[in-house]
Amino acid sequence: MANNPMQQFNVYKIGPEINIGGVDLSFTNASLFMVISAISIALFLYLGTKEKKIVPDKLQLLSEMLYGFVAKMISDTAGSKAKPYFPFIFSLFMFVLLCNMIGMLPYSFTVTSHIIVTLILALFIFIAVTVIGFIKHGFKYLSIFVPSGVPAILLPLITVIEIISYLSRPVSLSVRLFANMMAGHTMLKVFGGFVISLGILGGWLPLSFSVALTGLEILVAFLQAYVFAILTCIYLNDALNLHH
Amino acid sequence: MNLMRGLFLILVLSSTNTVLFSAEAGMPQLDPTYWASQAFWLILVFSVLYVSVAKFYLPKIKKNLDDRENKIKEDLDKANELKRLSEKKLAEYDLIMENSKKEISKTILEAKKKLSEDIEMKKSAIEKEIEIEMTKTQKDIFDLKKSSIKSINSISKEIAANIIEKIVGDKLNESSIQASVDEVSKKNLGKYL
Repeated sequence: MANNPMQQFNVYKIGPEINIGGVDLSFTNASLFMVISAISIALFLYLGTKEKKIVPDKLQLLSEMLYGFVAKMISDTAGSKAKPYFPFIFSLFMFVLLCNMIGMLPYSFTVTSHIIVTLILALFIFIAVTVIGFIKHGFKYLSIFVPSGVPAILLPLITVIEIISYLSRPVSLSVRLFANMMAGHTMLKVFGGFVISLGILGGWLPLSFSVALTGLEILVAFLQAYVFAILTCIYLNDALNLHH
Repeated sequence: MNLMRGLFLILVLSSTNTVLFSAEAGMPQLDPTYWASQAFWLILVFSVLYVSVAKFYLPKIKKNLDDRENKIKEDLDKANELKRLSEKKLAEYDLIMENSKKEISKTILEAKKKLSEDIEMKKSAIEKEIEIEMTKTQKDIFDLKKSSIKSINSISKEIAANIIEKIVGDKLNESSIQASVDEVSKKNLGKYL
């Protein structure tokens, strides 16, 4: 059991069972780590904004750099129209980043390694972007499926492809994050298992792999949070600025 | 055979413990037991996070950033204003310096002019004096020469009378001696006057 690399993804109840209308909404370890991530973000932002200095200290500088980073990401990909959605993108990026990063701590739980979590985030983004698109452009928003400058003979095919690609956005968005996190953590666990099973003589090789993989996984944790946020920006850009 | 065994195992495990089942048989992510719970807590936590970030933290960061930008801008404006003022002062100073330099050179020039005029005046006065003195002295010399020539004439007349008396032993007519001395002296007078 202990050697099972998938065991780390187990979800179990913490505390009493909460059952509302026949649906089990119990507080689990996944919920715990969501709360930990959110509290870490809040704490970090609280400490980063506590003192308003003209010359910032480290935490304040970090929070301001993150602000600038996300603000630049949004304005670069979605333009100035996306400004009202800045808090959402910022929260999303920070939440995914913190969930990924806290998941890197030993014995912790990676919230984003569960497809249901990423799928709900992705579905929310997908639905919100679609609604925003229809609110901003009405039925003209459907022209996103009909790219301009395509030969008439190819148009039906292209339109079908565009529709499929549009509808597969939530799937690709959620599976990308989930699969990356799950694969990385599984791999770490497998190599960790090798260290134990090969013992003091042969365990050094998988241990060094583990160290390297940990570095890689930290990079992936940041990168996937960035990709998640920037893809959201790109989708938002499609809805706000109908370029097709 | 293996498939049958696996199915049997799954059935047994699922009837006993779903948590164990999900751990044993593959990906716990695909076990729907806690999907609703995860969705619920995700939405709850993320909503709270979003609201606190949107209403509280981001405005604070933005305000601080704006404040800093404004402060920097104000400071820059102030610095530019001060720079402008100092440049103005410098220009004023330069102007004053230039004017005073001009004044100084003017004063120096005037003083020089006055001095040279003074010198010139005194020089000409002295020269005039010298001139007067010289003419007077020349006249004196001329007079002296003339008078000396007269006395030379009378002396040479006497000498001539004496010489003639001694040589000849006879007194000659005084007027004839006078005439010959005058004649000789007139002949030679041009040499001395």
